Amino acid sequence: MQDHSVPIDINSANPVQNKTRYFRLLARLGTFTLIRELSFRGNFLVKVIVEVLWLAILLAFYETVFARTSVVASWSKQDYMFFVGCFFALNGVIETLFLENCNEFSNLVRTGDLDFLLLKPIDEQFLITCRRVDWSVSPNIIMGFCIMGVSLWNKGWEFDALRVAMFGITFTCGVAIAYSFMLVLTSCSVWLVRNQSLMEMWWLFSSLARYPREIYQRGWAQSLDIVFTYILPILLVVNVPSRVMMKAMQPEMIAFILVATVVSLSLSRWFFLKALRSYRSASS
Amino acid sequence: MPPIIEVDHISKNYSVFRKKEGFKGALQSLFKREYNTVEAVKDISFSIEPGEFVAFLGPNGAGKTTTLKMLSGLIFPSVGTAKVLGYTPWERQDQFRRQFSLVMGQKNQLWWDLPASDSFELHREIYNIPNQQFRQTLGQLTELLGVKDLTRQAVRELSLGERMKMELIAALLHRPRLLLLDEPTIGLDVVAQVTIQKCLREYHERNKVTVLLTSHYMRDVEALCRRVIVIAHGKLIYDGELSGIRDKFGQEKLLKIEFQADQPPPDLSQYGQVGTIEGPTVELRVERPKVAEVLSNILARHTIADVSVQDPPLEQLIARVFEEGGPST
Amino acid sequence: MSVAIDPEPDDSYELQSPTRKGTWQKYYRVLRVSIAERMTYRADFLLGTFLRMLPMVTTILLWQAIYKGSGQEVLAGFKYREMIAYLLLVHISRMFSSMPGLAAGISREIREGTLKKYLIQPLDLLGYLISYRTAHKITYILMAALPYGIIFYICRHYFDGLPSAPICLAYVLSLLLSFLIGFYFEAAVGMVGFWFLEVTSILYIVITLNYFISGQMLPLDLLPPFWAGLLKVMPFQYMAYFPAVVFLGKVQGSELLWGLGLEAFWAIFFAWLARFLYRRGLRHYGAYGG
Repeated sequence: MQDHSVPIDINSANPVQNKTRYFRLLARLGTFTLIRELSFRGNFLVKVIVEVLWLAILLAFYETVFARTSVVASWSKQDYMFFVGCFFALNGVIETLFLENCNEFSNLVRTGDLDFLLLKPIDEQFLITCRRVDWSVSPNIIMGFCIMGVSLWNKGWEFDALRVAMFGITFTCGVAIAYSFMLVLTSCSVWLVRNQSLMEMWWLFSSLARYPREIYQRGWAQSLDIVFTYILPILLVVNVPSRVMMKAMQPEMIAFILVATVVSLSLSRWFFLKALRSYRSASS
Repeated sequence: MPPIIEVDHISKNYSVFRKKEGFKGALQSLFKREYNTVEAVKDISFSIEPGEFVAFLGPNGAGKTTTLKMLSGLIFPSVGTAKVLGYTPWERQDQFRRQFSLVMGQKNQLWWDLPASDSFELHREIYNIPNQQFRQTLGQLTELLGVKDLTRQAVRELSLGERMKMELIAALLHRPRLLLLDEPTIGLDVVAQVTIQKCLREYHERNKVTVLLTSHYMRDVEALCRRVIVIAHGKLIYDGELSGIRDKFGQEKLLKIEFQADQPPPDLSQYGQVGTIEGPTVELRVERPKVAEVLSNILARHTIADVSVQDPPLEQLIARVFEEGGPST
Repeated sequence: MSVAIDPEPDDSYELQSPTRKGTWQKYYRVLRVSIAERMTYRADFLLGTFLRMLPMVTTILLWQAIYKGSGQEVLAGFKYREMIAYLLLVHISRMFSSMPGLAAGISREIREGTLKKYLIQPLDLLGYLISYRTAHKITYILMAALPYGIIFYICRHYFDGLPSAPICLAYVLSLLLSFLIGFYFEAAVGMVGFWFLEVTSILYIVITLNYFISGQMLPLDLLPPFWAGLLKVMPFQYMAYFPAVVFLGKVQGSELLWGLGLEAFWAIFFAWLARFLYRRGLRHYGAYGG
């Protein structure tokens, strides 16, 4: 065996390889989690059933509602169903990629296993929030897109490349903003004695994003609209991409969501690193 | 070469929430919380040269793990400075983190449901190890630890000892210059302990890596380390050769006396502390300067079949050292 | 529409080992220790309460938009104000009937074999669990009284004041029965763990389904008549729908008595079922060794 005391010369590694490292890691983590999930097929199936059931309940709810009215907050049934599908798909992305990891964070803090992750020469935020892919909720993404497709079909929507492109961009921005909020909630578990499950917190918090902005348009609710659109922009997450597809495009909102994405991502990262620092000075 | 680890007067205090008892206490702490300051580490200094294999000993809660965590950069000291591999550890530069490993016996870093080889692959990406070097190192390590056939098996199906070996491989894959081992043999049976010791010794000899080891098992320490650092109650109380501990703390000798009679005489406690009695054989602990006197006294009064003078086992000695470092001194 | 998660944080209980004392003292002790444990988590509680208000707010706004969109005063017999009152009252029902972690806890004890301690100690599992749960409920309701008081005060204009004394009495009765139904229903599900290891999976499905069929999302009256009729004889409506409509005075006279009677029947039925499964399960457990 040769002398191991010479460390790996990092510069000798291909710099391009170094940059794509995160993507390759993500792909590998995704594969491993898929293999693992498939070895517990029963569990996987139950989770998928619960999600399908949940979607069915959601659709039953709105069917019941739209049996009594033709329009809710200026959204027609088809438009509204698109909104529901968009929320479902977007939340599916968040849950597939990040929710379980963030949920696990408070456990890592409590057991001290977080220490090991901090020792690795890699970005902490990446390692903590992207460690596992929760494949069992990934069908939600497909289901969400199916609902969007059906509502577009029912509406007699005509293909519009610009709208689709804008939808892609704003949908991605929505995911990024939602992720930022989740990261902030996650970071809080460093300070809280026993964090209630992040799953629950996320569910409660994301209820803000679940409905069209227009429901906030009267009386005291207007202040909520301002706060959660311009200060904590959670309302943008589903509203902007859905509007882009179903209603008149608002360039200023598209520009705003881009700015909001950059700001939320950087602020949440700052907060997360602060939480980690605090964890390190508090632990023994 | 400069030292691998240089610790300069570091201390670590932290405050813990004092939980009050019972219903009333819980109600009170809802509004006002009291914290106690705990001094986990008090003014410790030492340095470790490249290639050394050092044992870091102390009773539970002495501050060993806290010190290891400071050295690996996980926590900041309250006072003092340290350099590890030339870096200030708690700045946690990537370059620094690439060059050492921390293995904790009671924690599992590998993916539980997957074969260890998958975890190794992840490790390769995380540490950015060039492929060829990775294959080579992995091959050497699996051969050294004798686990070539087990890397494709799910980690949860492995025995405790095999799992520890996999943990070690993961920790060594990126060829760290410094290895911090926290209780690597905890919970293992004697055979597995000896294998791990053997592997560590061989790896250390071949690669001249610097190792800092904490362990409850003096066998680990005796097998692996020449130098020992002892801390108790947060303070450094000994730093030197393992054999030096006897000179400094071992003021007693162990007399093993086999009497000719079927039963040993009943009045032995006047000479020293009586240990185990097996048939006519007695273990007697006597302060070192008195050994000759005691022996001649006993020889004068009783017929003796056999006698030997030994040092008490290191285990007992260390336990004594821990006590002496206690708050009373 | 509101949340699929019960209004109380999920806590998997841990068991203090109880002392050999008089029966009442024993259960009282369990109750007190559990209350103390609950109080320690204040920050969680504050943040949790804030977050729990969000779905309420959005629900109110959504229904406002629905009524406005429909252009009608009354939907399925509910005025807008009654609808909001109903959705708020559902939270009170769930405060009593939700049992987070109960079934999962029981099935875990069965799976991990820790159940044995109930067989060794002079302590009845269901008796122990119900006193533990009661403690949690009392603490939770006490702690939640302030925030909920504030919410109901802010939302007082959705209500027509307190209903008459007999209705109030019926309401309290329906809530207590809903606690029992909730408890024994989940306990019975947990007991299935004696035969079927993966109870948690059934549980997820039940919880999700229960969310809709217990009337937490909308009053059952809004559903097509067939479904509404079917769900109104099922036990699930008592975990949310029934107490709320009792309070609103939508069920009165003989209908009310009939409803309470059916509720009592379901409570007794599930209590019996849980005990029955427990006894059968123990025999099974004993035979196969846990």
